[in-house]
Parts: sequence; structure tokens; C-alpha cells
Amino acid sequence: MISRGACVKAESLAGAIALGEAQENDREAYRNHLAGCERCVTALGGEREIERVMALVSAAREDERWEPDLRKLLARRRTPNRAWLWVGSAAAAVALIAGIRASGPRPATPPAHHVISAQEAHALAVLDTQTAARGEGRAESLVVGAATLSTAFEVSVDERGVPIRCKITKSSGDRTLDRNVCLTAMHVRYSPRAAQGR
Amino acid sequence: MDEARLVAHETTVAQARTEALVVEFQTKLSRYLRRMVGDAEVALDLTQEVFLSAYRMLKADPSRELNAGWLYRAATNGAISFIRRRKILRMLPLDREVDANSWRVDERSAASVDLQTALARLAPEQSAALLLTSYAGYTSSEAAAMLGTTSDAVRQRVCRAMRVLRSVMREGMER
Repeated sequence: MISRGACVKAESLAGAIALGEAQENDREAYRNHLAGCERCVTALGGEREIERVMALVSAAREDERWEPDLRKLLARRRTPNRAWLWVGSAAAAVALIAGIRASGPRPATPPAHHVISAQEAHALAVLDTQTAARGEGRAESLVVGAATLSTAFEVSVDERGVPIRCKITKSSGDRTLDRNVCLTAMHVRYSPRAAQGR
Repeated sequence: MDEARLVAHETTVAQARTEALVVEFQTKLSRYLRRMVGDAEVALDLTQEVFLSAYRMLKADPSRELNAGWLYRAATNGAISFIRRRKILRMLPLDREVDANSWRVDERSAASVDLQTALARLAPEQSAALLLTSYAGYTSSEAAAMLGTTSDAVRQRVCRAMRVLRSVMREGMER
């Protein structure tokens, strides 16, 4: 009968193996424990299995592309009121309504002109959807099977044309789809002068 | 140097040193915090709080040494407090739900999503142990110093985190 303490010790050894900190005698002690403890074999796996699982953490770290600039962010956050004033004085924020021609002022570079990148298209494609670029002032209409889903959303931008927030004003009924539409809209750089109708 | 000039000088020194810390650690810390809390906006707020604390500390004592360990310790404490607060208030529909919206499309690889799903199921102390070691690259003893525990405890937490990660990967394969 393997004691609970021996299993706790094995967890520590498995942790050392996972972190690449185990010496050969640690590995041997771990193997010896597994040889007599079916529970730990099932719960933790052997050394190869531990390394396979930990490789996923390395892969996720390699995928990381996020590099926020706190100084720019602070500068942007310092002017929220001005940004909202600007949005208000523009009569309407940059509004994109899927399937409906936008009646309000339009940005010089409307999101309809934004070519969906391969990565963005992939994110939408995995939802079993197809995207179709529409005319000026329209957002994507997404065809799911035989049904067409429409999502209405509103993007608020600051005075430099950087999107601040995206709000779904009419949901397609598919939360993932809504999120992807907003994500795409947030990656577009807008033209604030044109949005003011000039 | 009179007192006013001394204060101004100390403020300048504190600002310069904080600026250097921001340049060196902002990406690492914000990524770490985003993994901890699963939300980019919250991670940025928490990262700012860490640097603000550093600035206050340097302003009070310009000779103080603030290293990566101090920053990660402050970041971990901030993240754990936030997670506990969120749990108590239950402001969100699902506690620590993975919000894919806060991740760029090109980061939504299977590995990234699996890791975040596993982190969402872990106790914050276990997440911190896993992230500080295998994600941020510190040894178990360095992470132990940051978390105020022993390296053996860190290894055990990593092991428990790994078990959850393993089950998430298995679920992914079964889907």
C-alpha cells in the first residue's frame, strides 16, 4: 500500500520534472514510485507525458503576441471625456450595421474596406461561417448554413481614429459570432475627420 | 540643496527609475497578469497598479532596489486579490470564464486556449506557480521567494496545475 505522503512526494518530483529541474536520482525515484502506484500513473503519467503536457505551455508562450504600451494606453485613457465629446458632436459614432446601409456619417476608411486577414477569416471559418464583403457602410453578413445572421454594432473611436470600444447593438444570437465581428471592427483604424462628416 | 530641490530631485529619480522598469517589464507583467485573470483590460489595470506602487515606493525611498521579484510579487498579489474579489462579488456570469474576446485572433491557438482553460480551473496560487515558472521562466526557488512559500510547494502546485492541463488537453482531443 502506497502512503499518501509518498504520493505527495511524487507530486513534487513530477513538478521538478515538469520544470526541468529534476536530477537523474529524482527521475529514478519518480519511476520507482510509479512502478508501485497505479493512481499516480493515471493522475500524473510518466516522464514523457509530463514533458508533452508542459510543451503546451511553451507553445502557448510562443504564440503570445500581445505587447501593450502602457504609456500610450495612459495617454489614451487620459482623454476619455474629450473622446466621448468628439463622438457625441459627430452626431453619431462610427456605426456599422450589418445588412443595412448605414445612414449616418461614414468614415473615410469604413470597415467594409477592411480586408479580413487570413487569421481573422480563419477565426470566423472555424465557426462554420462564411464571410462576404459587402458594399460601403455595411459590415459582414455571415452565412451559417442556410441562414444569414446579422450583427449590428457600434464602434466608438477617439480623436485619432483609434477604436476605444465596440458594442453589439443587435445580436446575431450567436455570442461567438458577435465577439468576432467586434474583434474585427476593433482592428480597423478609422478616419475621425471623415466621421465628422467633413 | 534645499528641501524643495531635494524633493524635486527625488521625484525625478523615482520617475526615471519607474520609466526604466516600465520599459523592461511592461510586456512580461501584462502578459503574466492577463493569463492570471483571463482579461486584457483588467491585466492592464493591474499592471499599472504595480508600476504605480513601484513609483510610490521609489519616491519614498529612491535608493530602494526594486527587481523583477518585487514586481512579480506585487503583480501576483494584485491578481489574487482581484480574483478573490470577483469571486465574492460574482460580478461576472461565470467565474474566471475564458473570454476569447480579449485575445487576439492570432493568439487563439489550441495551446493558448487550452492553457487559459486550464488556468481558469485552477486556484490562483496554482496558476501563479505554473506561470511564474514555465511561462515567465523563473526557477521553482525564485518563484517560491515571490510567492512566499517553499520550492517544494511550488513544484507540487505546478504538478497539480499540470494534471488539470492534462485533462483539458484530453477533453480537447475527445471533442
